[in-house]
Amino acid sequence: MTERARVDNARAFVLHAYPYRETSLVVEAYSRDHGRVALLARGARRPRAALRGTLIQFQPLLLSWAGKGELRTLVKAEWVGGGPMLRGAALLCGFYLNELLLKLLAREDPHEALFDRYAEAVARLAGAGEVAPVLRAFEKALLAELGYALSLDRDALTGSAIDPARTYTYEVERGPVPVADADGAAAVFSGRALLGIARGDYSDPETATQSRALMRLLINHRLERQTLHSRRIFADLQTL
Amino acid sequence: MKAPSSLEELAGALRCLPGVGPKSAQRMAYHLLQYDRAGARRLAAALTVAAERVRRCARCNGFTELEVCELCSSPKRDPAQLCVVETPADLLMVEQTLAYQGLYFVLMGRLSPIDGIGPKEIGLDLLAKRAADGVVKEVIIATNFTNEGEATAHYVSEMLHARGLKVTRIARGVPLGGELEFVDTGTLAQAFYDRRPT
Ligand SMILES: [Zn+2]
Repeated sequence: MTERARVDNARAFVLHAYPYRETSLVVEAYSRDHGRVALLARGARRPRAALRGTLIQFQPLLLSWAGKGELRTLVKAEWVGGGPMLRGAALLCGFYLNELLLKLLAREDPHEALFDRYAEAVARLAGAGEVAPVLRAFEKALLAELGYALSLDRDALTGSAIDPARTYTYEVERGPVPVADADGAAAVFSGRALLGIARGDYSDPETATQSRALMRLLINHRLERQTLHSRRIFADLQTL
Repeated sequence: MKAPSSLEELAGALRCLPGVGPKSAQRMAYHLLQYDRAGARRLAAALTVAAERVRRCARCNGFTELEVCELCSSPKRDPAQLCVVETPADLLMVEQTLAYQGLYFVLMGRLSPIDGIGPKEIGLDLLAKRAADGVVKEVIIATNFTNEGEATAHYVSEMLHARGLKVTRIARGVPLGGELEFVDTGTLAQAFYDRRPT
């Protein structure tokens, strides 16, 4: 991989940031053309640092950086103007998307199409619509982008078309496998739900529930041993 | 294998401080032992005493050496108002405004899902109990205007609304004396979204 010393005005989002030394910040950014990069924002935590009001998650930015290696130096951050900030449950969903990207995308591995889907997901989360379909669509795009496109219309055993009336399990490396009797199987999905997910139509309540379970299964498999904190915290918040 | 020397042990211990890596820890250890033995003894004594005596106030969750801190026991404060802040430093900032006479609750953090900090980690259950003492009439949320602070404000507000309390959020916008020309774009954009009738 060739390393470029300087990148100018890259379309990017801040995924996360944490304090570094007394007055600086390390920003985990996700850029369209350069993938995920860690940037040192010098002095960003000083009381009147202009960067403070700019380096905000869920807002499209133009970032410029320089240097080589694991940690580049942020040179400039420009506000592009997105929408209003995320609020409430949509904000928690935003953190979840960011955590997925932080844990599943390797650094410096650009995924332009996924970036566009992320930008679209963030914009939809800022709107008034339901959040669940936004999450499912993004999870599906993320899995496909990681080389793990869902197989949803063919039975993995026989190759025959999914029957909406039948029940299936989903084998992570293969796809849907019909089950004679659902008892005892860990997670089962109706053929109708699988076809709904394939079309990206989550309006049916059963599809909504089962698509969530299926994505969780596949994402957990991809995460290997890492845990998704935002998922647990979202559950904890529901019990307040 | 040999046991670490006192010097190594000290450098290792200093690394628990935020932003202190192995090199600066070693530099601090050398400095203390070479140039400032008295400072080293004073630091050791202060740490021992503080670690022993400082605890959380039963009312505001802030640091104190008493069961209930001085601010929480002051008869001059209005017990009907409770202001929720992220840190003791934020509490001091609000105090400096002289604009607030009520009591406080210090979260000692904020919700940060990506860092694994949820409602249990910041003790939202303690806040729920504190706010439900029957005396508090209004809870004022003064968490930061970051996404994490906003998430915290949202869930604190939902939790307390559900318990029948009046909840308000401090306003935000262009800083006082701030000329628009010099305000960062994000702040100015937010000030537009949050505009109010005059
Ligand atoms: Zn107190």
